[in-house]
Amino acid sequence: MLILSRKSGESIVIDGRIHVKIVRVEGDVVKIGIEAPAEVPVHRREVYEEIQCSNEQALTRQNVALPKLPQSTPAKPGITISKGL
Amino acid sequence: MNSANVIEIEEPETTETAACCEVRMPAGLLGFEHIKNFLLIAKPAEAPFRWLQVKNNPSLAFIVIEPLYFAPDYRPDIPQADVDFLGLTSPDDAVVYNIVTLRGPRNATVNLKGPIVINRNTGVAKQVVIANAVEYSVQHPLPVNGAA
Repeated sequence: MLILSRKSGESIVIDGRIHVKIVRVEGDVVKIGIEAPAEVPVHRREVYEEIQCSNEQALTRQNVALPKLPQSTPAKPGITISKGL
Repeated sequence: MNSANVIEIEEPETTETAACCEVRMPAGLLGFEHIKNFLLIAKPAEAPFRWLQVKNNPSLAFIVIEPLYFAPDYRPDIPQADVDFLGLTSPDDAVVYNIVTLRGPRNATVNLKGPIVINRNTGVAKQVVIANAVEYSVQHPLPVNGAA
């Protein structure tokens, strides 16, 4: 693993297109700003691994029998659009 | 969906019509980033479940369901970067599916942290890590009556 020392406000560049900036250091919390092209997904590792593991377990074959859901009336869908993380 | 077309699937005893449309996932699914092209297949007998099948590989598929059938209070918060990626101009542009894991004949769970959001106008989709992921489980129990 490459280990670099950076101060608050300094950055590193990966592959000429991904910029990682140390925004602020407060105690044991480091705030990091990441600028990457839209096709480069960026995730918190623990959430990424949880969903990745779930996807691997969910992969299945088309001929399995599906369960039945209790009869219910579908609700109206609702999503919100986040104004920032 | 605009790009939907209808295909006939031959069954030995009954003839079942399945609706099928193409879904493009430029970023893939988490852990399956190399797979970009899927088919969303709906067989009437299996509603409200659908299949998100790897295009050109019918043996690889995910079972998906719209959350309105089992979690009416589910409110995924889509990060702005994903809204831009998907080209959504309003919440009505989006169709949300959750991936189902079958764990036994009467035991299934649903991933609520990482829904698949599809732009219904373009067929472009992404597995979104929702901004309010801490409020939801990747193994939300699905109330099922037993296998069909």
